[in-house]
Amino acid sequence: MTDPSVKDAVGQSAPVPRSSPLVDRLRRLPWGRIGMPAVLIAMALFFGTINPNFWSVTNMGNVARQISILALISIGQTFAILSAGIDLSVGSLLALVSVVCAQAMLDFGLVGGIVIGVLAGCLAGLFNGLLIAKARVPAFIATLGMLVAARGLALTLSGGLPIAGLPHEFMIIGAGYWGLVPIPAVIAAVSFVVAFFVLSRTRFGRYIYAMGSNEEAAILSGINVVKYKILVYVVSGLFAGIAGVVLTSRVISGQPTLGEVQELYSIAAVVIGGGKITGGVGGIGRTLMGVLVLGMLSNGLNLIQISSYVQNIVVGAIIVIAVYIDLARERRR
Amino acid sequence: MNKRTVFRTILAGIFVLAAFAVTPANAAPGDEYARPAKPAKQYTIGVLLPMLSNPHFVAQLYGYIDEADKLGAKVIWFDAGGYQYLDKQLSQMEDLIASKVDAIILVAVNGPGTVGAVAQAVAAGIPVINCNVMTDSDKVVTRIRSDDSIIGQMQADFMGQALKGNGKVAMLRGAPGTSWAENRGNAFKKTLAEKFPHITVVGEQYSQSTPADGLKLMEDFLQTFPQLDGVYNGADTVAIGAAQAVLASGKKGKIVITTADYQLDTEKFIREGVINATVVQQPGIIGRWGMRAAINALEKREVPKVLWTPLLQVTSANADQIDMSTIRAPAGWKPPIR
Repeated sequence: MTDPSVKDAVGQSAPVPRSSPLVDRLRRLPWGRIGMPAVLIAMALFFGTINPNFWSVTNMGNVARQISILALISIGQTFAILSAGIDLSVGSLLALVSVVCAQAMLDFGLVGGIVIGVLAGCLAGLFNGLLIAKARVPAFIATLGMLVAARGLALTLSGGLPIAGLPHEFMIIGAGYWGLVPIPAVIAAVSFVVAFFVLSRTRFGRYIYAMGSNEEAAILSGINVVKYKILVYVVSGLFAGIAGVVLTSRVISGQPTLGEVQELYSIAAVVIGGGKITGGVGGIGRTLMGVLVLGMLSNGLNLIQISSYVQNIVVGAIIVIAVYIDLARERRR
Repeated sequence: MNKRTVFRTILAGIFVLAAFAVTPANAAPGDEYARPAKPAKQYTIGVLLPMLSNPHFVAQLYGYIDEADKLGAKVIWFDAGGYQYLDKQLSQMEDLIASKVDAIILVAVNGPGTVGAVAQAVAAGIPVINCNVMTDSDKVVTRIRSDDSIIGQMQADFMGQALKGNGKVAMLRGAPGTSWAENRGNAFKKTLAEKFPHITVVGEQYSQSTPADGLKLMEDFLQTFPQLDGVYNGADTVAIGAAQAVLASGKKGKIVITTADYQLDTEKFIREGVINATVVQQPGIIGRWGMRAAINALEKREVPKVLWTPLLQVTSANADQIDMSTIRAPAGWKPPIR
């Protein structure tokens, strides 16, 4: 290869220094697809070498269980961000659902509590959706208001205190196993499959991508943007509801202080996975990668005894680095 | 007496004399639950704390770590970062179980919420020692803490006498869902009702255990109740904020402030007379007893089901006579950050 901008004495272009065939090979790998899994494998090898307990069935089960909550709310967050919106309220909804679920369970029994808890999440999501789609309040503001109000409502309903005395059978959802797999992980996995199907194979999914890429164009093509936007936030509320019930089971009590800061981690999961915060780009598979990275990081750092303060620094750095790498690759194309 | 009895009597006498020689003339604080012999094996003990931003827990951590040093044990410790981070403490506990620690010392962020995790640990063969803040689980080996009801009662006694049996008080109870906030506050109200019926509690609030929360709540109380005579505080983290609010409003000396624990700022306010009295736990002793109980449990010795750590009451009058070694970590000591 020659570089036409550099000419030698007889006017011939000078040869460009050749990079080694190995670097060329590496550069041509489909990093967009294998980047994240490669990072995950590297992390697992790193942690597993320092503390072999990382590989134990117990620990793998723990990781699966610990990330299930984040996984569920990240699914809802994916829907919101893909549509060029955002849902800042999911963390507080965990608390609201927990309190409502627990109180309803004491009043109406196990099944009643679970159903009402999930419905509470959907209702809050509907409220968000109406504010954003009908009243045209920007998603950031509407869900920010819900973040504050939902937490306040959770504290009000519970008097600030935990609601204990839930039936012992309820614990199975949060602490039980289906074979070797913890039940929260099963719930999250099923949710991922359903969400993947909705986003990639249904009209609803297609419309979400359309709204997220260019809302004007979507409206002009005749998509009922108002209806689908509301649906997006109901879906987000639904998954917050499911996550809230699972979390309540895990702590076998209604807790109004749950979920603090979790909305930010759900956004981080979507973004680390490669979703664009401006909408239109991303997907469930990518979010899953982001969730796995965050979950494995937290668990692995605990196992090699890195303090949680340092963990926060690491996670913050990774969020920025992940997005930077993504943008850098895009600029080079 | 035959030869055998004589021999035995002399032997007994020698043992008695030996015991006198070995017992130190001045017993160290915390000796009521004595340090066991250093075990042959190096145990790994997990320690779970609610919030290291409270110096009370820093002092307690020093107790755990220093005692572990003396007993040849290794400590893996985690900080949940606040009483609201229940999920984090559960994850930390699960990670300790997966790391196969020998025992876990748990200072719970929440009573009912930690029941499942404790059951998990015990099922995995890991004994759980519950210190300071209680979990609702009945599977713990022992409960080591100060008597929270006495803390509440002592604050009520002081408040009653300081207000001469008459007045309006507000309560800043501290973190909701914790055994200490519940028990101390309830004991305070009960003692007031029994001994000082003309003192009324005009308002009570829970909050996270930080000065910022205490400050905000106190400012609001001062606005709502212009005639306020006293403030009860569940913990000194909140009291520091309350004291700042009182100072800012110019009501220093007009409102009686009582609290528990004794960090540096609390001591400053006590000496200045802004905070009138505090009931002081000895977190260093809680830490040391927790570690001793863990080692005893692992060495298959019997551990008492309940251990009450001693309390002190401190006012500006006796602030100079307090032995700080069990109340604060040594100056300049920082928890080892990995």
